Amino acid sequence: MVDNKKLFMWLFLGSDCMFFGTMISTHLIYRKLYPESFDPTSLFSLELTSFSTFILLMSSFLMALAVSAMHKCDIKSFRRNTIGVIFFGLIFLGCQVYEFTEFVHEGLTLKSGTFGSTFFMLTGTHGVHVAIGLFWLTCMYFYSFTGKMDPHESAIDVEVAGLYWHFVDIVWIIIFTAIYLIEFI
Amino acid sequence: MSEAHTATHADHSGEEQKFHAFINLALVLAAITGIELVLVYLPFNEAIIFSVLIGLSLFKFISVIAWFMHLIYDRLLLTLAFGTGLAIATGTVIALMFIMDRGFVDFEAITAF
Repeated sequence: MVDNKKLFMWLFLGSDCMFFGTMISTHLIYRKLYPESFDPTSLFSLELTSFSTFILLMSSFLMALAVSAMHKCDIKSFRRNTIGVIFFGLIFLGCQVYEFTEFVHEGLTLKSGTFGSTFFMLTGTHGVHVAIGLFWLTCMYFYSFTGKMDPHESAIDVEVAGLYWHFVDIVWIIIFTAIYLIEFI
Repeated sequence: MSEAHTATHADHSGEEQKFHAFINLALVLAAITGIELVLVYLPFNEAIIFSVLIGLSLFKFISVIAWFMHLIYDRLLLTLAFGTGLAIATGTVIALMFIMDRGFVDFEAITAF
């Protein structure tokens, strides 16, 4: 028997794939149609973006451990790993805010052209997803201290939150290659 | 009582196995990210680097879905639920990339608009 919450989350993530798919293709199509409009290689810091990617991947690892801890009814381990996920998520968002600020100072904004519009739209939407995930996990973390969180019953809720967080990670894996790395080839 | 104890022990043993799989996967993912960063600076053929980057990216994508998201441990219905959306998204991206080629787009019509 498949849990309804889990099935709904997987269906939602499938629909979110379409959402991000359209935004990624919009960015790539404009890059293909107007390749000379903007050269982002002077602006992008691959070292910083690789670090962000590493941080998000490690947060995914900790999230997997948090879900595993909940299945073992080990609520202390769940808290330890969840706070790690929140910490790494905040570092990722901090890197993104720093990157956006640098770009705006260099003249790349939402209104500066097709590259700016599609780039900020895509990475900004991903950032909002990360922020929502962080809010969700923070609520879950504090809820675990109320004494109302039964490890047996709440394991599925943690698993669903984990699925969302991992999805944010896999979307970034695609963005990192399709938007950042390919520009440097 | 004994059966319940055996079942709990089996569950914990399964979680232990997953724990090792998660650690190995995390190390592999970190290593791949480092390789990707180095790859773009190597003086190789663009097509080869492009193909390798796409391959590594897909490997990371599928690995996270399979192990971290537990899809290989879960029921097929969940794979189908997610796979349908993913297939439509991938098809849309590929189709749009072919349709919106320079040869098929009327640039004058776009700029006039």
